[in-house]
Amino acid sequence: MTVKTHKTKPPRKRRGGFGSKQEQRFAYLMLLPALALVLIFRVIPLIWGFFLSLTNVDTLGNGDWVGFANYARAANDPTFQDSLINTVILLATLPIWVMLPMLLAILIHQGVPGGKFYRAVYFFPAVLSSVIIGAIFSVVLRYDGSLNNMLGAVGIDAIDWLGSSSNALGSLIAVQLWSTFGMGVLIFMSGLATVPDDIIEAARIDGAGFWQRLFLVIVPSLRPIIEFVAVVTTIGVLTSMFGLIYVLTGGGPGTSTTLPEFLIWLEQGKLNRPGYAAAISMILFVMMGGIAWMQVRIMSRNTNL
Amino acid sequence: MAELALQDVRKSFGAVDVIKGVDLEIKDGEFTVFVGPSGCGKSTLLRMIAGLEEVTSGDIMIDAEVVTDEEPFDREIAMVFQSYALYPHMTVAENMAFALRLQGMSKPERRKVVEQAAEVLKITPLLDRRPAQLSGGQRQRVAIGRAIVREPKVFLFDEPLSNLDAELRVQMRIEIARLHGELKSTMIYVTHDQTEAMTMADRIVVLRDGLVEQVGAPTDLYDDPDNMFVAGFIGSPKMNFLSVAATGPRQVSLGGLSLDLPQLKNDLNVGTEYALGVRPEHLFGGEGPGLTMQIEVVEQLGQTAYVHGRLGAEAQPVVVELRDQRPKTGQTIEITFDLSRATLFDAQEQRVR
Repeated sequence: MTVKTHKTKPPRKRRGGFGSKQEQRFAYLMLLPALALVLIFRVIPLIWGFFLSLTNVDTLGNGDWVGFANYARAANDPTFQDSLINTVILLATLPIWVMLPMLLAILIHQGVPGGKFYRAVYFFPAVLSSVIIGAIFSVVLRYDGSLNNMLGAVGIDAIDWLGSSSNALGSLIAVQLWSTFGMGVLIFMSGLATVPDDIIEAARIDGAGFWQRLFLVIVPSLRPIIEFVAVVTTIGVLTSMFGLIYVLTGGGPGTSTTLPEFLIWLEQGKLNRPGYAAAISMILFVMMGGIAWMQVRIMSRNTNL
Repeated sequence: MAELALQDVRKSFGAVDVIKGVDLEIKDGEFTVFVGPSGCGKSTLLRMIAGLEEVTSGDIMIDAEVVTDEEPFDREIAMVFQSYALYPHMTVAENMAFALRLQGMSKPERRKVVEQAAEVLKITPLLDRRPAQLSGGQRQRVAIGRAIVREPKVFLFDEPLSNLDAELRVQMRIEIARLHGELKSTMIYVTHDQTEAMTMADRIVVLRDGLVEQVGAPTDLYDDPDNMFVAGFIGSPKMNFLSVAATGPRQVSLGGLSLDLPQLKNDLNVGTEYALGVRPEHLFGGEGPGLTMQIEVVEQLGQTAYVHGRLGAEAQPVVVELRDQRPKTGQTIEITFDLSRATLFDAQEQRVR
């Protein structure tokens, strides 16, 4: 048998994606606004901030190129060092931030009476602004505040929750935890809903008691959720505690509740050192970038779970 | 290896009665299949035996010991779920050894038991993989392996093949039957597929609306059903039910044709309507009286063909099995009745013997 070969035009290679050229052009057009927003509010400020961090400009715009002097200064700045130590202390409490909502979510999921009520109550603080939360707790936690009154009623001496450098950071962390753990509960609840009943029943048949089912089956199944909550919480506490610090402690006493985020505002807004503030911002950005990278790695590792 | 007995077992969800009193005895080493349409309570009954569903009243006994209120594990049963229910974060070996690990068996010992079971199920190369990396058939093998290593008294299967494709289902059906032959354990298998029930069971329990309709060997149910439900549910294509009127104590008329049923032990009420049950394979090639049928649809399977059409002047719908023939739509064929195999049902859908 002979095969006749015809000369044909090679099939035109299709460009990536689907749809006609016109459709593709339209798609790019629709993406443009979002792209513009990211560029204007994220990318350009970032680049601008980086150049700013290499100068010693003031808010009036006068200043010189100083190279990496701001970074060198940050390395030797005791306030910045304190803020980093405070950050480390804050991050050390991470297990509580993750375990508490997980435990509560599991209890609600197990069908504790009034579970829906608890869920709503736990979530409620998440809709309050940090300024309102700060205002509430400055009343509750001040030396002659309601918490100390309550303690006094049961014979415990008043504690200076916000005014002593040994308690202030702990109080701050506790307030932030109170105001945000409801979100964690919700995330864990939705995660628990994805653990099939069959698996838990199989574990019962295999002889696992309540605690074994919890720690050998349910919690490992929640691992991706645990890691997600850990990462989201970490980023949250590093970038969204400003309002609370501002209202509750102002970063004090001393530097005991100063976090890098608050310090940036201090340097920029109060001390008129935008260049230095930009340098600290860049350091914080790199820290956050590292965490985001970890997040991406963790999530891709969990894809086959 | 164990006997199992259910004594007037009932289950209600609130005001809804799901299981309405089931008495059943399952012998040691028997392969019993619970079959019935969806919603008949067969899975609920299995879950009650497993201890996953509370029993409202009645007793469940394994080896003459009442286990009604025992935890699932203490009943020494193992269960294979439709969804496989493998632990996603554990490897295949860890999945299979989970129960042994909880019992405190040492790691090397566990590995040995798991490897033996894996050998039987031909899943040895999969032992270090995770469930997500396995196909449906492989997962179901692992789930069966997890049951085997426990050496349970009773194996429970809850529609284990429903999530598999047709070819794999046939293959796994044979393997489960072979496994039963090797292990000789008591097995209870739930399915809505009467073919699975017919091919695998030592005994079939047909359930409807939370009640047992009939219990018996597959061929008993096929040849000698107690009622119209069982007669219609067992067998594919379904048994034909033709409405007939009694014209004598052992005679009915169908489309002007008189059919004698000498096998009946009881007299019929003359003038009363009955349903005559004839299986598709008993409507052709017999020696009995005949009627003409116009062919409407032909399902040609090669060796056999299922022919759908309407029978006689009353145009009652029937299915006829033809062997080694090539019928065409629109043709008229002669139907003959093999009345020795026919069954008769009264208005209450009960068998008239």
